[in-house]
Amino acid sequence: MEDEKMMGDVYAVYLRELIRLWRQKVRLVTTIVMPLLWLGVIGNAFNNAFKMPFKGDFLSFLTPGILVMTMVFTSTISGITTVFDREFGFLKEMLVAPIKRESILIGKMLGGVTQAILQGVIIIILAIIMGVNFKGVAAIPGMLLTMFLVSIAFVSFGLAVASKMTSMEGFQMVMNFLIQPMIFLSGAFYPTKMLPSWLKIGVKLNPLTYGVDAMRYFAIGINEFNVVIDLMVMIVLSIVFILLGGYLFRKS
Amino acid sequence: MKAIEIEGLIKEFDGIRAVDGISLEIEYGEIFSLLGPNGAGKTTTISILATLLKPTKGKARVNGYDVVTQAAKVRHSIGIVFQDPSLDDRLTARENLDIHGRLYHMKKDERKKRIEEVLEMVELRERADSLVKTFSGGMRRRLEIARGLMHKPRILFLDEPTLGLDPQTRRHIWNYIEKLRDEGVTVLLTTHYMEEADKLADRVAIIDRGKIVALGSPSELKDSIGGDVIKIKCSNADKMAAILSSNGFNAMIVDNEIIIKAKKAEKEIPRIFSLAKGIEIKSIMYKEPSLEDVFIHYTGKAYREEAGDEMEAIKRRWRMRR
Repeated sequence: MEDEKMMGDVYAVYLRELIRLWRQKVRLVTTIVMPLLWLGVIGNAFNNAFKMPFKGDFLSFLTPGILVMTMVFTSTISGITTVFDREFGFLKEMLVAPIKRESILIGKMLGGVTQAILQGVIIIILAIIMGVNFKGVAAIPGMLLTMFLVSIAFVSFGLAVASKMTSMEGFQMVMNFLIQPMIFLSGAFYPTKMLPSWLKIGVKLNPLTYGVDAMRYFAIGINEFNVVIDLMVMIVLSIVFILLGGYLFRKS
Repeated sequence: MKAIEIEGLIKEFDGIRAVDGISLEIEYGEIFSLLGPNGAGKTTTISILATLLKPTKGKARVNGYDVVTQAAKVRHSIGIVFQDPSLDDRLTARENLDIHGRLYHMKKDERKKRIEEVLEMVELRERADSLVKTFSGGMRRRLEIARGLMHKPRILFLDEPTLGLDPQTRRHIWNYIEKLRDEGVTVLLTTHYMEEADKLADRVAIIDRGKIVALGSPSELKDSIGGDVIKIKCSNADKMAAILSSNGFNAMIVDNEIIIKAKKAEKEIPRIFSLAKGIEIKSIMYKEPSLEDVFIHYTGKAYREEAGDEMEAIKRRWRMRR
């Protein structure tokens, strides 16, 4: 009975997120311009310029990386906007309703994850049109799982950051000093083998490396680490960020 | 059992007392107003009653439930219209109400029926499926009232419901609030507009700096200050006040004006002129007391509706509308 009630509450919060998402469908399309530029321009340019140190073309190599990048950006931003809901008052409406704080949190997280995965799916379709060779239908479940793990982790990360943040400048800081380096050091854009050894340390310490590796494994069958380790890292990262984000959000 | 029981309520923020020992009881079916200037502690009191803040000391019960230990039951019992807008303006009016119904565990049929009822009540039925983004300030306020009533709460909190609205819209909102009386809803209304409390409330608690300074029906409060109010402007207010006081008047200086109360003002005015030797009386007037005079009487200071803060609130609202 209690669980059923909570499901209903989560759904109410989530439903609102879905309606908002639907109303902003134009924005959903415009925000994938950036990843498309990466694929269409950089992908195609480098495709002809370099020979990859393994089988396959650069465009197919790059696509999983761009997918992860998109997940990270979209999820972080949606986590952050959750906190800005507070400024727009609707959060108050939910806080005074007879529902658990957890329901609000879960509903909101699922909303962010849905948005990120929708964008991911659009990118996958466009990549197929551009001629990227995925592993076929078998690639889909693994890619969705990886997308889910990356986005839930970074929605929570966004929540955690925004709960401690007071201004939009703080948001720029986080993007420039945390998110961007994480993406650049994740092997999203290039094979990490090509890096000098001192940079490789950064790559290995970066949890996102394992997300990109898992995505690439599921999408095109190329990987550097054991995919089980990849997924373990992502699951641990998700749990840590969910707990941290949940804790900071409740406290703020 | 009373609708609301508050006992020795204290709320401190970093050692500053926003609410300083408030006690009061509100009956079911009553329209009760907390009246006071900005920063008097009205919103803090409502936030405690709505379980959004925990009291530092004291007890409060809403619909018989303790606001600290039985928060979920309190939340089911109340509806609230916040001072700041809290609608989702990317949703339609109907969607806002529907999500609200879901959050309060209403069944689908029940929600559908109730949405029509509350929209009818605030005359927004034709706009049910328009985005809230396209609504004027007054329409938003009406929709918020409808939403507060959506789950049929026994008690409705209205925190400054007409703040920043034009006089015509304000009157419109007042009509809805008066309708609530017929529905048997208990209303706790905070306002810093004297006229609003005077017109709507069965009983008023005047609050200043976190304390209740006077409590009663508007007419009781006005009677309590003892007759008419005479205001005098003159060349030397201090001296004149001293003369009046030594002649049996209870004179007070507020904003460089002398204020005295008198049972029969028209008979006292000639006496005042005869006492003013060497002091030029620039103007003198008398009137029946208003709640403003009650406030001045009990706090000894002028009542300002603090236009600055109000402008801030209007600006805030305007920003949100975009």
